[in-house]
Amino acid sequence: MNRKTLNAFIILILIPITMLFGIYVLDDRKYYFISMLIILYTLLPFFLMFEKKGPKLREVMLIAVMIALAVAGRSAFFMLPQFKPVVAIVIISGFCLGSQSGFLIGAMSGFISNFFFGQGPWTVYQMFAFGLIGFLAGLFKNSKTLNTNINKKALCLYGFIATFFIYGGIVNIQPSLMSGHVMNWKATMAVYVSAVPFDLMHSIATMIFLYFIAEPMIEKIDRIRIKYGLNGLSH
Amino acid sequence: MKDHFNEVHPIISFIYFLAVIGLSMFMQHPIYLAIALISSFIYSVMLSGTKALKFNLIYMVILLVFMATINPLFNHEGATILFYLKSGNPFTLESAVYGIISSLMIIIVIIWFSCYNVIMSSDKTIYLFGRITPNLSLIFTMVLRFVPLYKKRIEKIIMAQKCIESTEVKGYINKLKHGTKILSIMTSWSLESAIETSDSMKARGFGLKGRTAFSNFKMTGRDYYLALWMVINISLLIFSRLHINDSAIFFPVIKINLTNYTGYLGFFGLCFTPILLNMMETLKWQYYVSKI
Repeated sequence: MNRKTLNAFIILILIPITMLFGIYVLDDRKYYFISMLIILYTLLPFFLMFEKKGPKLREVMLIAVMIALAVAGRSAFFMLPQFKPVVAIVIISGFCLGSQSGFLIGAMSGFISNFFFGQGPWTVYQMFAFGLIGFLAGLFKNSKTLNTNINKKALCLYGFIATFFIYGGIVNIQPSLMSGHVMNWKATMAVYVSAVPFDLMHSIATMIFLYFIAEPMIEKIDRIRIKYGLNGLSH
Repeated sequence: MKDHFNEVHPIISFIYFLAVIGLSMFMQHPIYLAIALISSFIYSVMLSGTKALKFNLIYMVILLVFMATINPLFNHEGATILFYLKSGNPFTLESAVYGIISSLMIIIVIIWFSCYNVIMSSDKTIYLFGRITPNLSLIFTMVLRFVPLYKKRIEKIIMAQKCIESTEVKGYINKLKHGTKILSIMTSWSLESAIETSDSMKARGFGLKGRTAFSNFKMTGRDYYLALWMVINISLLIFSRLHINDSAIFFPVIKINLTNYTGYLGFFGLCFTPILLNMMETLKWQYYVSKI
């Protein structure tokens, strides 16, 4: 099964069936369970494709290094809540290595760093949010070769928007989904509003990290890719 | 105290947590919630002692109060009106009870996950998923090894930089620039050495046919009994729920059926599996000791 048929199967068949199952069998109450399943479905094709592609060992290693840097970065700043470089590193990885690797690096960073910070119902949402940010960052990459002139301001702006809206938007919906009964917009908004200072902090941190580390890191990754001929990662 | 559930086969413990956490997400019935809360609470204290006790209590009280007040403030369904809010909306008993129930659900899942974090260590996770997703599992193991390695490397780089530089780095901007320099040294060192590692692994025959991974897990008789025990309890729960009405409805009036005793028994047996196992093993040990 190639990627397009798998994606079509998931989007056109599996997700609607799950939603109908939620509405009719579970009485339209278990938003949490259904949303978790749908997020797992979206994670699945990336993981499956990565396994099926049979990537080169060198590529696997490059991805592992980027994830390790993100995880180590998250634990290096453990004393400053929300001030974390994870999103910045995920964006840089997505930008250099393409959408698919970006998604993988984001999702795995969320998963593995929670072995140090504690797994919980939030893990799946974090994985999806980080992955999506990495995936979208990969779309900005336009040429297969060197990213010689990086638009640093645009990258920082993307970092801010992605952290605030994508990460905050996805992760903050989790508590209101979990309370089960009819989704209440006012209560959901209350959660979002109370999370604004944290998200703002997180977004500013991402911007600062991107401003300082984007250029040197992109340079280093490109150097390695040229030196060892790792161009298979970009598509 | 030694935890015996930690020694069972990873598949068994993974299925246990999958079942328990999955079911806890669904249960709104107060009896089931009570069973899950008590068992998860006892087990987490068994695993992490007073640390877990403190965490559970503090977390629980904050969340309980928060949810029990937030829900009735925004949700005005329910027939029993306690009083009216300033905005003119009613504050109902049902809504407050529902807030407590849903906060209990969240608390239970969080406590289960705190047990999961102790039992399902990274080596067990690798064992479980290594065969299904070999590449991702390789990434997973490499990252777990890289994180402590990188911390050491950063220390080394900082020391080396201190030797090179004649004066101390002053000012925020300079410190940030210095930090960036260290990170960029770190990046090139890590990338370069990782590629070398991969070449070395390849040279030693990584990925060739017929290679196996070492693991020290074996299914024993006890694991089969535990699997059987969990299957019996889960089927007791599911089949009794199909036949006997044990619904819990909160709106417009609270209506709870409390007659599904088989279901309670099944859920009790499932949730208390590790606690019962620990008790059994302790009793067995004491019995053997007394015979000497």
